[in-house]
Amino acid sequence: MTVPREVPLPTALADATEKLDGTGRVVVVELGAGGITTYRLDRDDVGFLRCRGRNVPWPVLLGGRTSWDSGDAEGERAVLRAAGDLSGAVVFFVCPLPDGSPTDTAIAWLRKARPEARIYTADAVVVADLIRAAMANDPLRWPYDLVLLRAHPDGRLELTAEQLFPFGARRGKLVRRELRCEPSDAKGVAFAVVSWQDRDPVLVSIQAARVPAGRHELTAELRRPGLVRMSIRGVPELTEDERDWAELVSAVPLRLASPSGPMHLICAVETCGAPAKVEERLGRIRQMITTLSSELPDRLDVSLVAYGAHSYDARDPDPPIDVAAWTASPVRALESLRRLEDAGADARGYPDAARLEDMLAEVDRRLGSAATGRTALLTVGERPPHPPRVESEILPCPARHDWSQLLRRLENRPGMTLGAICDRPGERAGRAWSRLGGGAPAHLEAVDVRTLAARMGLRRPPDQLIPFPLTVD
Amino acid sequence: MHPDPGSARPSHNIAMWGAPGSGKTTLLASLSIALMRRRGPWKIIGADDPSAEFLEEKSLTLSRGEFPQATLDMESYRWVLVGEPKAPERRRGRLFGGPPKAAPAPRVGISLLDPPGGLYGDRGSVSATDQKELLDNLVQSRGIVFLFDPIREFDNGDAFDYLYRALVQLAKQILAGDDHGDGKLPHSLAVCITKFDDRRVLQTAERDGLLTVDPDDPHGFPRVEPEDAARLFHRLCEVSRSGNADLVVNALDQYFREDRIRFFVTSSIGFYLDPERNVFDARDFQNMVPNVTGNQQGLKAGASKFRIRGRVHPINVMEPMVWLGEQFYNSQPNNGTI
Ligand SMILES: Nc1nc2c(ncn2[C@@H]2O[C@H](COP(=O)(O)OP(=O)(O)OP(=O)(O)O)[C@@H](O)[C@H]2O)c(=O)[nH]1
Ligand SMILES: [Mg+2]
Repeated sequence: MTVPREVPLPTALADATEKLDGTGRVVVVELGAGGITTYRLDRDDVGFLRCRGRNVPWPVLLGGRTSWDSGDAEGERAVLRAAGDLSGAVVFFVCPLPDGSPTDTAIAWLRKARPEARIYTADAVVVADLIRAAMANDPLRWPYDLVLLRAHPDGRLELTAEQLFPFGARRGKLVRRELRCEPSDAKGVAFAVVSWQDRDPVLVSIQAARVPAGRHELTAELRRPGLVRMSIRGVPELTEDERDWAELVSAVPLRLASPSGPMHLICAVETCGAPAKVEERLGRIRQMITTLSSELPDRLDVSLVAYGAHSYDARDPDPPIDVAAWTASPVRALESLRRLEDAGADARGYPDAARLEDMLAEVDRRLGSAATGRTALLTVGERPPHPPRVESEILPCPARHDWSQLLRRLENRPGMTLGAICDRPGERAGRAWSRLGGGAPAHLEAVDVRTLAARMGLRRPPDQLIPFPLTVD
Repeated sequence: MHPDPGSARPSHNIAMWGAPGSGKTTLLASLSIALMRRRGPWKIIGADDPSAEFLEEKSLTLSRGEFPQATLDMESYRWVLVGEPKAPERRRGRLFGGPPKAAPAPRVGISLLDPPGGLYGDRGSVSATDQKELLDNLVQSRGIVFLFDPIREFDNGDAFDYLYRALVQLAKQILAGDDHGDGKLPHSLAVCITKFDDRRVLQTAERDGLLTVDPDDPHGFPRVEPEDAARLFHRLCEVSRSGNADLVVNALDQYFREDRIRFFVTSSIGFYLDPERNVFDARDFQNMVPNVTGNQQGLKAGASKFRIRGRVHPINVMEPMVWLGEQFYNSQPNNGTI
């Protein structure tokens, strides 16, 4: 009996399984001491190699006899049945060296059925181990990604995936990845690995751990296709997450309420009107700057813009908008605020509106058209803006600034958040103030600066929990 | 009234009539500004010192950007409208003598009453004697300038009441014993729609397509042609609170001869002009600036809540007076000095 042996069995098997596509099969028929064992390997719809085994012991095959003659039709049928359907498959026969036992007859029948199949004599191999190794060594048919959240500059959260292992990666492949975690609930942060089938993500695994908020380095090792071991330094082992995908995704808030990276807070204050009101407005701004500077150390830039009333008097032209501080440190901004507090209210000028539109134009101009990071405009005042043209009893802005248009530009700016504190309560604050307040302005008399800051996404509300890790960009 | 021996002694009264705050005093104050600005055949001069002073003082105040205070007592002013001298004229039968003499300039005396607007209403605070005095003045006058304040009509809808109430009383007094007349008052009536510069008035006119621009006007101010003024009046009555346009028109038809009523679209302060561009800008024409907000802190009683923003460009303030003057002048048999 000649046994073709160009390549050793492990290599030949690995080669054959690797070449398996979605429809093919590799069948290994082992004739060993325990009977005939058949291993059928194919790929599932995600490209995973899978293996089903079946064993028929010799006594069952022999049906009470101790051997067959080669002409035993019944014996031949039983052997072929044990080998199963071999059509269209790459077939390997693995058998011990010929020794005259029923094995020899069985292999002869099998060779007759599949003459092209390769025959290996495998004294020392355990076929099951070989197959396990082939499966573990199988390269990835699809890349493996880690599910992450991306926080947009405005805090919007978007599910995204970043590659862990590329197509073709094999077991033992180790990758490290920087990521960030936000506070999570008791079940922890979910590290979900997905692969892709065409365009659709297919969940490979979800593991979870209670990870402290902050930056971390994740180490991921491809143990085999379908099994990724992840670890984070200083964090207890990740375990199987019992939450399902839908549950996790629905727990993601629309917006991240906590600032990521630096924050530019622009405080605009109306300095005309009753002195007591102006004082109170400046007081609120002081509170806001103080609160945020302690919560966002080294991450807060502050600008301070003061605006008053138009004069509509040729003898007393409007001064430029007072930019008391621009992207200054909180300490510097508080100094500038002191100057405004000392100056107090300006009683002069048009009584029924203020230069809100000029302020918006100045802020818009200073922010420029280039992208800036997270920016918040907090406007504190009372009066409506002047319209750009005759439209009400309120005189038009002499510079023809269009508050609505300017506000739209600011609203549409990536990373921009608006908030306002108005002397007048909600309904009476008017259209412009509703928009300045990002929906509704806070009322000067009732505002809680911390709550407002949280609503504007300047600080985290205590109850926001994020179930996935975030990207670090 | 004191007898005045001067040749220019005004013998015709023009009574002003209008609700409180309808702009009577401001209209008078802007008169001399209007006359200075406009080159026309008529001049206005004070017939006595207080009247001359009034003209000067009030027009100065207005130029400074201040509105007059609310009128508390009935004021009367005597002015003379002096027209252009007529061209020399040959007289028949004048064979001897010097060169032909120029005809004297036409003069129309007007005695203007500026009553506190409160007198016309049925306010409890107004004394019966004051009301009586006013009515007497209306009876004696030949011309009436009625100020119809569309802003008041927009907000309160009672501007018409002021017209009607006094009209009924006037008619009672004059027409009571008059059996052979046509049942109409002998007065000429100039209905002045005031505050044309106000946004709502201008927009009403615009919506009705009543605005035109005089191509010769360097400022390009919008205006309402004299023949369209009555239509604007009707429209303003219609859009007002009370919506009693029919009543107004009926009352006017009932008491005045058609040829003795005329409508004027006026503004004492006119539209705002940007000093640099100096042409009317439809986006920014409001010429009044509020002084204080609603609570009026720091305002003297009677002081206006508004000031004037830019220069004053009176619109149609002189025309009603001139028209009334011409009415008197033309009705004289020998129209020289009246
Ligand atoms: N928009 C506009 N407002 C005017 C004009 N003239 C007067 N006003 C406003 O009307 C207010 C009253 O004007 P007055 O001239 O004092 O009115 P009046 O009829 O004399 O009022 P009484 O003396 O109280 O009867 C002023 O303070 C202004 O606010 C005008 O031409 N345009
Ligand atoms: Mg007055």
